[in-house]
Amino acid sequence: MNNVTFGRYTPYNTFTHKLDPRNKLFILILLIVAIFFQFHVWSTTLLLSGAFLILFILMMLISRVSFLNIFKSLKSMWFLIIFLLVIYVFIPNKAYEGTPICYQFNEHYAIYWASFYQCGYIILRIILLFCLTMVLTSTTKPMDLTYAFEWYMTPLKLIRFPVHETAMTLSIALRFIPTLLDETERIMKAQESRGVDFGRGGLGKKFKAIISLIIPLFVSAIQRSEELSDAMEARGYDPRAKRTKYRKLTFGWRDAIAILFAGAIFGGVLYLFILDRTGTQIELFQWIFKVNPGF
Amino acid sequence: MNKIELKNISFSYSKDETEVVKHVSFKVHEGSYVSIIGHNGSGKSTLARLIIGLLAPNDGEIYIDDELLTSKNVRKLRQKIGLVFQNPDNQFIGATVEDDIAFGLENRRIPRKDMQDIINNYAKRVGMEDFLTKEPSRLSGGQKQRVAIAGALSLNPEILILDEATSMLDPKGKSDIRELINEMKKNNPNLTILSITHDVEEAYDSDEVIVLNKGEVAFKGKPQDVFSNRKILESLSLEMPFIMDLKDKLANQDFKIDKCQNIDEIAEVLWPSK
Repeated sequence: MNNVTFGRYTPYNTFTHKLDPRNKLFILILLIVAIFFQFHVWSTTLLLSGAFLILFILMMLISRVSFLNIFKSLKSMWFLIIFLLVIYVFIPNKAYEGTPICYQFNEHYAIYWASFYQCGYIILRIILLFCLTMVLTSTTKPMDLTYAFEWYMTPLKLIRFPVHETAMTLSIALRFIPTLLDETERIMKAQESRGVDFGRGGLGKKFKAIISLIIPLFVSAIQRSEELSDAMEARGYDPRAKRTKYRKLTFGWRDAIAILFAGAIFGGVLYLFILDRTGTQIELFQWIFKVNPGF
Repeated sequence: MNKIELKNISFSYSKDETEVVKHVSFKVHEGSYVSIIGHNGSGKSTLARLIIGLLAPNDGEIYIDDELLTSKNVRKLRQKIGLVFQNPDNQFIGATVEDDIAFGLENRRIPRKDMQDIINNYAKRVGMEDFLTKEPSRLSGGQKQRVAIAGALSLNPEILILDEATSMLDPKGKSDIRELINEMKKNNPNLTILSITHDVEEAYDSDEVIVLNKGEVAFKGKPQDVFSNRKILESLSLEMPFIMDLKDKLANQDFKIDKCQNIDEIAEVLWPSK
């Protein structure tokens, strides 16, 4: 049960940890959008992705995110990578026609090198996304994220969306994850001692084993929720009433620096993208290195 | 003055089922420490939920501060009561110790600037001041229960109800909470404590004991009186508190220990220091 390590919060005290969660969420979205701009010139897109990778690695170093976790989570993605390869490489795409051919099966069907580039690029983007979300989740407490969500959802109150209730539900769900994981482990051990085998057996047997885990888990979760609602009510909770807030999110000088930096990157990429869409060939590689990349 | 008064309370969870609480009446005076003791299924936890208005009785009346508890004033009267439940995990609402204590304060609309002082103050009182930023998964059961007590006390209740607050704790946790309750009592003599328990040792500390059996009041009185009768205790499948047991057995051996109140005094009689 303890192998759920991807992006788990690590309690360090770095620059990123001290940022306002609202700000971090906003920066995350900005950078994700920035990653997904694609340019007409191949080398430019690739160069920018590389630059992003370096930037994110720096961010991870600053935030003391463990690289080992990234590799671990990538290991579990091999299926997705193979799936992408098959889709990109073997499904014929008119856009590649005329580009260098890797293998010609017959006159109608060929595999193009460009499809490999495209697939590699997609995988690179996924890795970039991984790194970004890792930085967010391992430097921000889940609870702080819910406060940030609540803050962003505040305008929805105008259309009578239950913002506070949603945030409260979310925070309670987060609060009970470790408790329920412990419970799962306990039930598993109890069932194993009664002869249930969770590890082996065919699909049917495994399904049966899982049922013997799920049902007690649900029963206990429902009992818990009932007791919890009693406890909340006993302490005067009323979802409709106004409440004061203990947690206050503050936007400090660090946040100003971070948002300016992210904004500058986003602005730069957006500027290049607009130039690209209005017909200018963005030969970024050539501009910087003064050589032709050759593809 | 009566802080809590129950008049002929009956309750069943559904109409067809037998009543879990049958014609229960008792009074709790202001500033007293009353224990309700009984075996599993004696209806004692139901009683706590009735008093705080989470359940409504089928029959009978509940008075808090001489005011009849109704669906209209339940929220108002509830503010006078702090309730600590049995399961330490299922009443920990906040993400951390400080957030959990703050939960009740937020509900009461205490301004944010006052919260920090209140939280620090009550965390200190229950000895959790060094754990303010800790998550519940990193606390022991006893620590979580102390946080729950701090959360209940931070709302300045006039009545504190402990619904088997120690039953899921290890012996160390149990004795810690017992000590904490006795200390609270000393610091705040006006606080009325109603402790629902099946731990006879805990009940022995209180001013008055009410014994429930199958939903009915079987006994009421001072702990010394209630716990001195071995036969009756056995018929209710309750044990004798250790000190009463010891006194009883020593008295059978013709030791003169009737006036002894605690272990030290008994030791003094058995092995006089002079």
